[in-house]
Amino acid sequence: MAAPMELSCWGGDWGLPSLHPESLTVMAYAKFSGAPLAVNTISNSWRAPKGDVPVLISEDIVISQPAKILNFLRKQKYNADYELSAKQGADTLAYIALLEEKLLPALLHTFWVESENYCSVTKPWFASRIPFPLSLYLPGKMSREALNRILLTRGGPPPYSLIEVEAQIYRDAKECLNLLSKRLGTSQFFFGHTPTTLDAFVFGFLAPIYKVCFPRVQLQEHLKQLPNLCRFCDDILTCYFRLTVSGHSPAGQDTADANLQKLTQLVNKESNLIEKV
Amino acid sequence: AAEPWPENAALYQQLKEEQILLSDNASSLAVQAFLQMCNLPIQVVCRANAEYMSPSGKVPFIHVGNQVVSELGPIVQFVKAKGHSLSDGLDEVQKAEMKAYMELVNNMLLTAELYLQWCDDVTVEEITHPRYGSPYPWPLNRILSYQKQWEVRRKMKAIGWAGKTLEQVLEDVDQCCQALSQRLGTQPYFFNKQPTELDALVFGHLFTILTTQLTTDELSEKVKNYSNLTAFCRRIEQQYFEGHDKDSSATVAARSAKRSLLR
Repeated sequence: MAAPMELSCWGGDWGLPSLHPESLTVMAYAKFSGAPLAVNTISNSWRAPKGDVPVLISEDIVISQPAKILNFLRKQKYNADYELSAKQGADTLAYIALLEEKLLPALLHTFWVESENYCSVTKPWFASRIPFPLSLYLPGKMSREALNRILLTRGGPPPYSLIEVEAQIYRDAKECLNLLSKRLGTSQFFFGHTPTTLDAFVFGFLAPIYKVCFPRVQLQEHLKQLPNLCRFCDDILTCYFRLTVSGHSPAGQDTADANLQKLTQLVNKESNLIEKV
Repeated sequence: AAEPWPENAALYQQLKEEQILLSDNASSLAVQAFLQMCNLPIQVVCRANAEYMSPSGKVPFIHVGNQVVSELGPIVQFVKAKGHSLSDGLDEVQKAEMKAYMELVNNMLLTAELYLQWCDDVTVEEITHPRYGSPYPWPLNRILSYQKQWEVRRKMKAIGWAGKTLEQVLEDVDQCCQALSQRLGTQPYFFNKQPTELDALVFGHLFTILTTQLTTDELSEKVKNYSNLTAFCRRIEQQYFEGHDKDSSATVAARSAKRSLLR
């Protein structure tokens, strides 16, 4: 029996187990590979998060980045990529790089840099889950780190300017979403019928864009035009995260999820109809 | 209608013998390989201030007609607008794969090269600092290279590579080479019979890593572990770079790089 493992990460809302892409990736992978993880979401009563989140704690070992956490799980024999060929393993690495280079900047921008989104949704949400007085400082720090990352990796020569970069990163993100949609096609997961590491990463990046309700939603609107990616996210949410957390009974969560799904489908149909008119 | 490709198109990079660094040489070679594969003639012009002339601050950049375009991605788009493309024969899924693998090379190989050049103290002291500012007098040469080092280290910190050790970076290079080797398999090019911009990019980086002498051989050893990758580089070198009289930049670069870069 493997030692009990505990994952500490950001919690969820809007029907998601977590809002944070990296936390979501790790949680999804754990579900896919059957790893028994005790998930502790960071809330006001938890001790203040220091360093990176998500963090996996198993006996005395503390591991922090998603790639390292997934490696650790694989070494503990929780391997979701068991049936992949060598070439598919190589494809996994390549597509993860694509996500990080093309989609992540726009994701960070939508959550942390776009001022309307940040002030009305992101900052209050994170601040409510961090104990005072860190709640005054930490969201601002995360926002500055996100901006820094975007400017340093995509900005032109110094002095860096955000405006030139914004249009480019959203264009790249939309192209990335299109590429993912073409690659997924009509299959249920990226490599056939069982989900793998790549599915965990894609889900981790896409689900927050898909579900979180922001005032400025150009990326979400683009994603909703790619029905196979929406179906991909919904499938994983209903199949693997049915028994989530926070006091809801499974049956209650089921009906809530089913209602949410129906509502989403209706909204999608409506928006499709409206676009056609 | 788009203008035809002019005869005097030029590619600008830093000085080949004394100044250019591993990562810039790789990027420049990738663009040269791409243009050779498209059969578009280009002259390589070396200028000490190429980085500052570039519209995005990165080398190489090409000057075609009255337009200036830098970096491989935009150059591929530009060339496509002129009617030349290597990836038209690919279907949608293959195009997605090609773009994903190009990002893998940028994400892992290029970042590892930058790390080695600017964050590994031994390499910085012995190779990077002397080379980077070499065309300029003291103290400008030191100031410029410290400034660049500060910029690159900031970037490494933002993407989470600052905490990595050299061994971990070499591990990542190995993983990337393994993925490329598995994808290439026994085919001549990544998408079987015809080379694409992915082949140009991979060639640019791997050939430069194999032929540049650094303080240790660890980086090139990682690539040499995969025989199909070295065969791939040799094949592209023979097909696109040998047999051109002047300006066979790969062979010149190889000859100059095989000489020691240590001062």
